[in-house]
Amino acid sequence: MNTTSSAPTAPTSKPKEQATMDVSVGPQHPGSGHVRLLMRVDGDYIVSIDPDIGYVHRGCEKIAEYRNYVSNIPHLERPCIIDAIHLNWAYVLPVEELQNVTVPPRGQYISTIAAEMNRIMSHLYWLAINAGVFSGHTTIFMWAFGDRDLFIELMEWLTGARLTYSFLPPGGPRRDIPSGFEEKLTKLLDYFDKRLVEYDRVFFSNPLIIARSKRVGVLTKEDAIRLGTTGPVLRGSGVAYDVRKVEPYGAYADLDFQIPTFTEGDSYARFLVRFEEMKQSISIIRQALSKLPKGPIARKAPLVAPEGEAIGRVESSRGEITVMVIGDNSDKPYRVKIMNGSFRNLIALPYLLRNVHVADMPIIYGSLDYWPVEADR
Amino acid sequence: MTESSTSREDSIIERSKSRFPEYVKDTKVDSKQRITISFDKDHLQEIATWMRDDLRLDHLTGIAGVDYPTRKKLEILYFVGSFSKSEIQDIIVTLKTDLPRESPTIASLVSIWESAHFHEREAFEMFGITFEGHPDLRKLLTLDNWDGPPPMLKDIRFPEMGQR
Repeated sequence: MNTTSSAPTAPTSKPKEQATMDVSVGPQHPGSGHVRLLMRVDGDYIVSIDPDIGYVHRGCEKIAEYRNYVSNIPHLERPCIIDAIHLNWAYVLPVEELQNVTVPPRGQYISTIAAEMNRIMSHLYWLAINAGVFSGHTTIFMWAFGDRDLFIELMEWLTGARLTYSFLPPGGPRRDIPSGFEEKLTKLLDYFDKRLVEYDRVFFSNPLIIARSKRVGVLTKEDAIRLGTTGPVLRGSGVAYDVRKVEPYGAYADLDFQIPTFTEGDSYARFLVRFEEMKQSISIIRQALSKLPKGPIARKAPLVAPEGEAIGRVESSRGEITVMVIGDNSDKPYRVKIMNGSFRNLIALPYLLRNVHVADMPIIYGSLDYWPVEADR
Repeated sequence: MTESSTSREDSIIERSKSRFPEYVKDTKVDSKQRITISFDKDHLQEIATWMRDDLRLDHLTGIAGVDYPTRKKLEILYFVGSFSKSEIQDIIVTLKTDLPRESPTIASLVSIWESAHFHEREAFEMFGITFEGHPDLRKLLTLDNWDGPPPMLKDIRFPEMGQR
């Protein structure tokens, strides 16, 4: 597999070479959303791919200019409904900075708990579909989806919605933790701890999964940095970069957690990063529950944001989400720019899918945890 | 983090100013960890190369266009950060320059930060900015049959979405 040597060529529409054939993968839902990969194959090998994205582009940034700051919350968390808290939070952070509003400590802790629950749910979705289904492992698909629903039910209890929570308006979370929630969540985490051992046995230590993903789709550390990848893709290539550590938001500065990092850079390393992150999320939630401060959960925030621009960022399940908001003294943002993990990791796709077997494509694609709607916005 | 912790930000600004006294027009520390550097658009590649090699700002997070029809200009913003230099990992440097609204053109950064590839394609179709030297500048997100003007420009309005 000669994926590391020369600089990656950008996906281009070069003239057709002899003995190659173009195959279109998608844009029907290939498992994780509408995206088309134009694959040029030579026999069983992929020569190059050209990702054709935009099938689920909705003009989120344009629509955001027409809606007020609060109406934008349900709108801007839509691109990645399985990771809604992080999209919500990334948008609210710069708005709060513009409005000069700070969230009280209890609110920060509740947001952090909700965000880490969402991270587990998002990683379980990835494990079920992008790792399980794409590698033909139906057991993990059923298990991960079943366990994800237990978290969904608790999130519904906390926020009132199963997936699209709109939980964090400027100023702090909408609701306090309901009574009895802590016990239920602690019980679920104890259960989930044991399930992770089972996941390891049946999936992550499965010789078939290891054979199919190890040394497949290797992204070296240098390339991961140069291509500007982010999130588990970056950490699977040996760069310990996590916004929760480098620029702590919420309650992360008070909590003790590790950044799982693997140096191999292959698909298996990216699998393991997410597996270890779920363990860290359990630990973060436990600490946050035990340290949960008393006091108000939210402060009143104005409906208008003054002139100026602010950048906020969070570590979502798919990597860093950076949002720039420009205010103009009205109740609507002048400009919202969203830079998210899926769009940033997209460049790794044509880079990794070269000189590999066609059969490795689903594994590599799945290991990036690419979410087309988030990338298209 | 203490109050005096903007010294890292100031040092980045000082180094940029002293290295490119003519090209760097305006600098400011927006807030802790956020810097904006306005520069002369004809020297983007020079500045970017220096930032990558000397400041070790090794990746580009994104590119944003902002349209200001009343001020008759387009702004283009490059958000740059560093993975490999731990002291400045939390800083986002915004490189900012003005482009004319009619035929906006700027040099491509794909040869410097490869991650610019898709971001430049997005800015090309959404704002009509031409990136000179981009290896494959074509539409990315909009429909294949979209033949209207760049949709993110402010004078392109979608009245069914409400008032703006």
